[in-house]
Amino acid sequence: MHNNLDINVHHITRVEGHGNIVVNLKNGKIEKLQWHVPEAPRFFEAMVRGHNFQDIQIIVSRICGICSITHSLAATKAVESALGLTVSEQADTVRILMLYAEQLQSHILHVGYLAAPDFFGAPSVVPLVARAPDVVKTIVKAHRTANEWANLIAGRPTHPVTIVPGGLTRIPTAKQFRQLQQTLKDIVPAAKTIAEVVLSIAGNIPKFERPTEYVSLKQTSPPTYTFYHGGITSTDIKGMVCPVEKWHDTANEYVVEQSTAKWAKWHRDSYAVGALARFNNNADLLSPMAKDAAKMFGLQKGNCNPYMNTVAQLVECFHIIETTIEMIDKLLTKGLKDESCLSGVRNPAGTIKAGRGAGAVEAPRGILFHEYEFDKKGNCVAADMCIPTNQNHANIQKDFEKLLPEILDQSPNDIRLKLEMLVRSYDPCISCSTHFLDVKFVK
Amino acid sequence: MHLLLDAFPRREVRKVTGKSQKKAIVVIGLGNVLLSDEGIGVHIARRLARPKRKFPLVDFIEAGSAGLTLLHLIANRKKAVIIDCARMEAEPGTIRRFTPDEVRSVKQLSNFSMHEQDILQVINLSKQLGECPREIVFFGIQPESLEPGQKPTKTLAGRMETYIAEISKELA
Repeated sequence: MHNNLDINVHHITRVEGHGNIVVNLKNGKIEKLQWHVPEAPRFFEAMVRGHNFQDIQIIVSRICGICSITHSLAATKAVESALGLTVSEQADTVRILMLYAEQLQSHILHVGYLAAPDFFGAPSVVPLVARAPDVVKTIVKAHRTANEWANLIAGRPTHPVTIVPGGLTRIPTAKQFRQLQQTLKDIVPAAKTIAEVVLSIAGNIPKFERPTEYVSLKQTSPPTYTFYHGGITSTDIKGMVCPVEKWHDTANEYVVEQSTAKWAKWHRDSYAVGALARFNNNADLLSPMAKDAAKMFGLQKGNCNPYMNTVAQLVECFHIIETTIEMIDKLLTKGLKDESCLSGVRNPAGTIKAGRGAGAVEAPRGILFHEYEFDKKGNCVAADMCIPTNQNHANIQKDFEKLLPEILDQSPNDIRLKLEMLVRSYDPCISCSTHFLDVKFVK
Repeated sequence: MHLLLDAFPRREVRKVTGKSQKKAIVVIGLGNVLLSDEGIGVHIARRLARPKRKFPLVDFIEAGSAGLTLLHLIANRKKAVIIDCARMEAEPGTIRRFTPDEVRSVKQLSNFSMHEQDILQVINLSKQLGECPREIVFFGIQPESLEPGQKPTKTLAGRMETYIAEISKELA
């Protein structure tokens, strides 16, 4: 047990954006234990004001270089809700397939490149190549497949260009869908290999639990393990569902001194969103392969070990692959229709009406809300967005407060690593904006 | 309305997908087009990709702030040309050609994060996987402003033809 301890992780690595961990222990007493988010606000809500409804999803896709499809879809759903625009069943299905591509892309990235080095005791994926070349090659293969899948449907691997209010500008051909389906069938063994590797090192996943409220989307009609449709649910409301329009009442965002990002709470001091939240709310609706994967790891509904979020992401990878293979079959059986929205909008009434609307989509790291108001010309007059990582910040802090006293007998390095791993397990996406090269020439 | 026009990806961009054949050379424009000069790499890539420029052996890709996606974009190409806004202690608007061996990153984050990762580390990973292009060339452009804005500053925009001419020599 330490009497005095100072841990200052200034900018934790292998997460998106900048977050700091601060621990001060004096005479055996914890004086300071904080999860800091020091990033500057990015003002996207102000940036979209005055822009036409057709531009919104393109602008907000720049919020993130990982979940750009999710942001575009949440924005588009909100725009469609505000303006009363309809979307065909086919476009709806293809949008979900696009979202799945991003989920797989992001999950593999997190499990493979960002979290796996922790389990292997490596500082990053680069030195891991020398130690486990086949594992890294398998991870890269799966990640590449997901990237090409996103490219095929969204027009680019990141920052999609095919989504427009009312539908999609284009969709892949039947032949391309069949190729995608075959590629996904082909990567099932790679996914199983990744699962087996993670299982072989699962003993390194810390055993820590804290009873937690988990919030996610829930779709009851038809019952689906949803990433796109449905309303808001929580493990504290026993399967009830709140309409997405009520998200302000469920997220209850507030401001704290230690963070430039807002925090959120619902029934308790904090709640968690993400793969483990989706699993805890909807696990019985997973595909058979995903259920098998969960069983492999002993992951069951009600799990409240935040480190297991990474495993829940892996389980979701199987669900996504298996479900997509089925969805493509259904799509092609019905036959693809030429309904590209080149004008951008299917607006039966022919006129735009002023309105306000909200949209929610499950980002890889949890439920995401967008809300917009438009004037009668279709120009944005107000915007509000609530990203999943904001909803997790308070929960990370609460986890820290329970975890630290439990591991104080460990070495400072181990304590630091466990706190860092905890943050990484949430797969936080703190922000992304400037990414210019910063170089010095070798003399 | 350039934002909406971007909703129709060019043929060159689409061909990179799926089973289609990758071209020997790839030009990657990096940056955030909502932060004025930060997006200069993307603006230049867009100009280079216009059909009249005619580079049949080249794929042009707007990679935005894509991180590890770069690994896949450069994989198994003969040559990769990466254009980005770069802080090089030079006059705003300066363009400079360099190779990965000629620079070291000054980023303090030594390990991967999703967006902050060092391009040089991606190249290192690509080499270790045995799929790195034989030739990688960077074109860095010193920014004048990184403030919000959908266009580069006049200083950089005014030199666009110089940038195009300089980079075109690399694609012959």
